[in-house]
Amino acid sequence: MQSPPPNSFGWCNRVLFRLLSIPKEGPEISDRIVAVDTNTLARQPVRKREVVGEFRSLNNLAAATIVEKLPAGNDGSLDPDAIDRLLVTVHCEMQRISEEFQHGRRVAELLNPILQGLRDSKVDGPLRVVDIGCGTGFVVRWLTAHEALGGDVELIGADYHPALIDEARRLAEAENLSCRFEVANAFRLEQPATVYMSTGILHHFRGRELIDLFAQHNRPGTCAFMHFDFHQSALAPFGSWLFHAARMREPLAKHDGVLSAVRAYESEDLLLAARTGAPNFVSAVYGTKLWGLPIPRAFHSLVGILPEYRDAFIANLGNKKDALGVVE
Amino acid sequence: MIAIGLWLLATMDASFAGYREAAGRNALIDKRRYYLRAMIRGAVLGQVAVVIAALVILSLLLITGNPQSLIWDLEKAGSRMLVVYVPFAMMILLAFCVRSIPSVDIRSITSTLIFGPFTLIRPVLAVIGLVYGVLAAPRIATVVLALIVMTMMLSLEKALSLFRA
Repeated sequence: MQSPPPNSFGWCNRVLFRLLSIPKEGPEISDRIVAVDTNTLARQPVRKREVVGEFRSLNNLAAATIVEKLPAGNDGSLDPDAIDRLLVTVHCEMQRISEEFQHGRRVAELLNPILQGLRDSKVDGPLRVVDIGCGTGFVVRWLTAHEALGGDVELIGADYHPALIDEARRLAEAENLSCRFEVANAFRLEQPATVYMSTGILHHFRGRELIDLFAQHNRPGTCAFMHFDFHQSALAPFGSWLFHAARMREPLAKHDGVLSAVRAYESEDLLLAARTGAPNFVSAVYGTKLWGLPIPRAFHSLVGILPEYRDAFIANLGNKKDALGVVE
Repeated sequence: MIAIGLWLLATMDASFAGYREAAGRNALIDKRRYYLRAMIRGAVLGQVAVVIAALVILSLLLITGNPQSLIWDLEKAGSRMLVVYVPFAMMILLAFCVRSIPSVDIRSITSTLIFGPFTLIRPVLAVIGLVYGVLAAPRIATVVLALIVMTMMLSLEKALSLFRA
């Protein structure tokens, strides 16, 4: 279930990891500086000293230094308002990379064949697409702004973090976008999603947590899922380092962005977790190779769909079906 | 011609600096006007840098005993700088041409292979171009001018950020 550790890439990679100060293992800083009760979604205080201590014990001194510089109150808890502002800033920087790598269009190119496959199979509308852990809602807002999916599609972004959802709503309102954002567990929304999607969240779920995540897709009315994440390869950590060095300003964004690529799962691990957790779905990885060649890509996507819609989905992929692995 | 070439490159570089400085600070979806304004801001600040460089050259010409010799040396240095900067600029422009193809993969590749790495190596290349230029005519005047131009090239984005704040 765990991706191969970076040191299995050989001595050359080990030297580069050290030279570039690339962290070798998790957690990410953003995983630790915000704590939420998953049942009530109430914000929990986070003791700065404990987080710093955890990173020191993991020998991740860069992360410890970044957390040390974050403001805290008299009780030693990280200042929640300052953390909120930081996370909104970081998400804005992350959006810049998503835009550069055409992520909105990339999502639309895969989501449209899924939705068209469902329409062709006479699935009742509206087709509800829920973005899990949407952050400031870039993908949902992009799809809405570009009218990329058709009028029968309802787009909802869900995230635990109220500050990110407030920002997503503010941005959507500023551009008169009709999408919705909820502070919620995406799997506990009043109406279930027809399609669940996400970007960059899978690697946050380690081991059994990943299987549990997929298990939550087994709901009435849910027909498919597609989850984008970094494509694990020997080059990924260095490519990620380069882009985060060139594009990001916040030290937290640089640290977590590079670590995300290090922690990204292999395609086989994702498939195993999806097929174990969500056995009702057939699944495959989309876009691991570029133009059928062994050129690593920045992102790939784990796609799952109920078996009765598989053929319609593949038929609607057109010439992009070469990028899809075996759906089983 | 050499001066015009360097001015064009400086203006282009400054407008891209304006874009980079603005990127990642605005999370709206439609940012065409925002980026256009940012690039104009960068280009305008680039003109300020060009004027400063021109004033430095003028001062050097006024205090040197042999202005014609200095002009020749500056031309030699400038033509060498173009040898370094023009291929870099051409690669960027070529990447923009490729990026106009409406393909997610092709556009991503231009970022992976050109825009990302070239952003990182830009400061190094700026220094290489100036050093290569100065080596064609090593004298105090060219070194002073190169140091001033280098400082302005490398601090343009930072200066734009200061104006934003």
